[in-house]
Amino acid sequence: MSSRPTFIGAVEIGTSKITVLVGQHTGTQMVIIGYGECASRGVTKGAVDDYKAATECTHHAIELAEREAGERLDCVYLAQTGAHLEGFHNEASVNVKAADNLINRADIRTVCELAMAKELPAGRSVVDHIRRPFRVDGRVVPTSPENLVGQRLDVGYWTVHGQEQRIADHLNVIRGFNLEVRELVLSSLASGYVVTLPEERQNGVLVIDLGGGTTDFALYRHGGPHTTGVLAAGGAHLTNDLALGLRLTQGQADKLKLRFGRAVVQTRDKGEKVWLDGTFSIGDRPFLRQSIEQITAARSWEILEVVKKKLGQSFSAETCAAGVVLTGGTAKLPGIAECAAKVFGVQARLGEAPPWVAANLRDPGYHTAIGVLYEGIHGESGRRAPSGRRPGLLRNFTRLFGSA
Amino acid sequence: MINAQPILPASRSWRDIPQPVRPRVMSQGGRRRLALTVLRGLAAIAVGGLVIWMGGEVVAALRPAGARAPSPVVGRPVRPPVLITDGVLTNAWLARTLALPRGATLMSLDLFRLRARLLEDPQVAAATVERHPPDGLTVRISERSPVARVMAQAGREEPRAWLVARDGVVFSGTGFDAAMIGTLPWLDGIKLARRGAGFAPIANMVPAADLIAMAKLEADGLYRSWQVVSLGRVASDGLIEVRTRDGMQVVFSTAGDYLRQLARLDLLLDTAAHDPTRSVHEVNLALGSQVPVRFGPPLAPQAGDATGASGGALAPSVPAAAAAPAYPPMLAFPHLSSLSAPPSP
Repeated sequence: MSSRPTFIGAVEIGTSKITVLVGQHTGTQMVIIGYGECASRGVTKGAVDDYKAATECTHHAIELAEREAGERLDCVYLAQTGAHLEGFHNEASVNVKAADNLINRADIRTVCELAMAKELPAGRSVVDHIRRPFRVDGRVVPTSPENLVGQRLDVGYWTVHGQEQRIADHLNVIRGFNLEVRELVLSSLASGYVVTLPEERQNGVLVIDLGGGTTDFALYRHGGPHTTGVLAAGGAHLTNDLALGLRLTQGQADKLKLRFGRAVVQTRDKGEKVWLDGTFSIGDRPFLRQSIEQITAARSWEILEVVKKKLGQSFSAETCAAGVVLTGGTAKLPGIAECAAKVFGVQARLGEAPPWVAANLRDPGYHTAIGVLYEGIHGESGRRAPSGRRPGLLRNFTRLFGSA
Repeated sequence: MINAQPILPASRSWRDIPQPVRPRVMSQGGRRRLALTVLRGLAAIAVGGLVIWMGGEVVAALRPAGARAPSPVVGRPVRPPVLITDGVLTNAWLARTLALPRGATLMSLDLFRLRARLLEDPQVAAATVERHPPDGLTVRISERSPVARVMAQAGREEPRAWLVARDGVVFSGTGFDAAMIGTLPWLDGIKLARRGAGFAPIANMVPAADLIAMAKLEADGLYRSWQVVSLGRVASDGLIEVRTRDGMQVVFSTAGDYLRQLARLDLLLDTAAHDPTRSVHEVNLALGSQVPVRFGPPLAPQAGDATGASGGALAPSVPAAAAAPAYPPMLAFPHLSSLSAPPSP
C-alpha cells in the first residue's frame, strides 16, 4: 500500500458561496492544508439551476484550494442539501435465531437489511441511511448488540433520499473537473458533528444550520443522528423580505441585514432611524431600525417555527437536553440564539468549531465544509456502508508520480 | 434445514448514478486535469515497462553462463559460396572474382563490395549476394549472351575476338563453347571506344541483334552463311548490311519486318539456285516489295560441261562485253511482290 497521504476535498456548493477545503489524511489524522472560496452563481436553494455558472464557480474554488494546498485532490466529499431531500423512518425487528438467544452478526445484518429495504418512488435515490440505536427486547443499545442476549432485536433507519436528477447535477459539476465524488454527506450532519460534543449528542441536541438558501437541521439522540431535514428557506429570504418591505435592491437589503438585522426586536425607540450607507450621498436614505428588526425577526422566527413543525413529535424539550445549536452564515444574525430558545423552549447557543480548526475557518459559514471533511473520514465506519470504489493497483501506481 | 432469505425491495442509491467522464462538458481546468491524468497513466505504463525490461535484463545477466541463450556464431569461416547462374560462368570464376579472404566470417563480408566485384565483369548483367547464417553465402547472377563478335585490341594485347551482347556491351567471354563462338558473325562498321580495361557499349546494336536472333531462329541455313554484319548505315539510313561467306551482300531495313525480309531472301535464293551459271552478288531487301538483285559474273563451266559449252548449242556464246559487264544487270522478281502484298479479303 502506498504511504503517500490522501488529499481529500470537501466541497459545499451553497446558495451564497462555494467552499472547498483540502484535507490531508495520513490514515491517523486529518490536517486542513488548503482552502478555496468563491461566490456562488447558478445555485438556488441548494439546487443547480445553471450548470455552466455553477461549474465555473465550483471549479474556480477547487483550483484556489488546490493552489493553496500545493497538491491535487484525489477525491471529493460533497455536501448535499436542498429542498428535494426528504427522510423517513423505517424500522425492522427480527427474532434472535440462536437457541441461547445470543445475538450474532447474521441477526444484525438481517435486521439492518430489513430496515434499510424500502422501495422509493421513481426518480428518487437514497442519499444516506442513518441508523438509530439497536434495541434488544426494548432496551436501547447504543453500540453493537453482538453477543448480547435477547429474544428480539429491533433497529430503525432514518433514510434520506433525494431527487436523482438534482443529485446527478451536483455529481456532474464535480465530475466536470475530472474528480470523483467519493461520498455524499448531508450538510446537516456535517455541521452537526463539528459544533456538538459527543456528550451533547448523547443527551440530545438539535443542530440548525442556517444557510443562505436552505436551513438544514439534525436532531441527535443517544449519541447519533435521529432525524434530519432541509427547509428551503434561509438568509436569502431575510434579504428578500427586507427588499420587498423597504423597497430596496437585493444588495442594499443584504447590507442592511448584515448591519442592523436582528432575530429578536430589541429597539424600543420606534423613531430611531438608520441610514442605508451612512455617507449621506445620493441614494442614501434613512430607515426605521425597528422596521428592519421586525422584518428579520419575523422571518427568523418563522424559519425556526417551520423547523420545529417539521420535527414534529421527534423533538421535545425532554429529549433535547443539550438544547439547540445554531450554525451557518445566517446564525451570525444577532439574537438568533435567543429567538431559537423562545421557539423551541430549550437553551440555544451558537455553534463553535473545535479548537483544532484554524482561526480563519472558525466562521459559522465554514462549519459545513469542515464537517464534510470530518464526516467523510470518520463518519463512514459503522454507520454507512463502505464505499465500493477502492483504488486499484494502477491507480495506486499512478499516484506514485505525485501531483502535477 | 431451510434458510429462507427475505426478498427485499431494491432501493436505488446515489452510488448507482453514473459519473462518466465527458470531456465535452468539462471545464478547461477539468480537461487539463484529465490530460494530466492520462499522461500520468502513460508515464506509469512506460515506467512499468521499463522496470520490467530492466528486471529481465538483470535476470539475464545474473543467470549462469551455461543457461544463457546461445549467442550468434562468431568466428565461423564462411563456406565456399554457392553460384546460381543462367549462363556459363563457373564456381572457379566466382571464387576468382570474389577473392574472399581465407577464414573470413559471414558477418565480416561486405556484400555490396562483393556485388560490385561481380558487376565489374561485363559478362554479368545482374548479381545478388545473400547471407545464409551461420556460414552460407549464395550468389545469383544473370549473364549476358553473345550475339556477335568483334576483333579489337585492348591496350598492348594482341588483337583478339571480343563478344558483343544484345545491349551492345563488349566482353571477353568466359566459359563459352568455342564452336558456338565460331558461328557468331563479325561486326563491322562500328567504332569501339575504350572504357577502363574494356570497351564502351556499342550503339545501335539492338536492331542488329534482333536481326541476328531472328535469322538464327527462323532461317538457320541463312544465318550460318553470314560472316559479317555491318552497322555502318544503321544510324544514317536504317540499313543493316550482311556479307555472307560466299561474298553475297544482303541489305536489310531496320524499319521492316525481319521475318518477312528473311523469307524473301530465302525465296529469292531458292529461285536463283535454279540457274547455276549465275551467282547472286547483292540483294537489297530494304525497298519493300521490290527486291533488286545484282548478279555476279557468269560462272565458269565446270569440268563436266566443258565439251558441250565449247561447241554445243546449249551454251550460247556471250559477247565479251555482254559477258562481263561493268555492272551486272539487275533483275526484278515480280512474283516476290506477293510476299509483301496484303492478303486479299
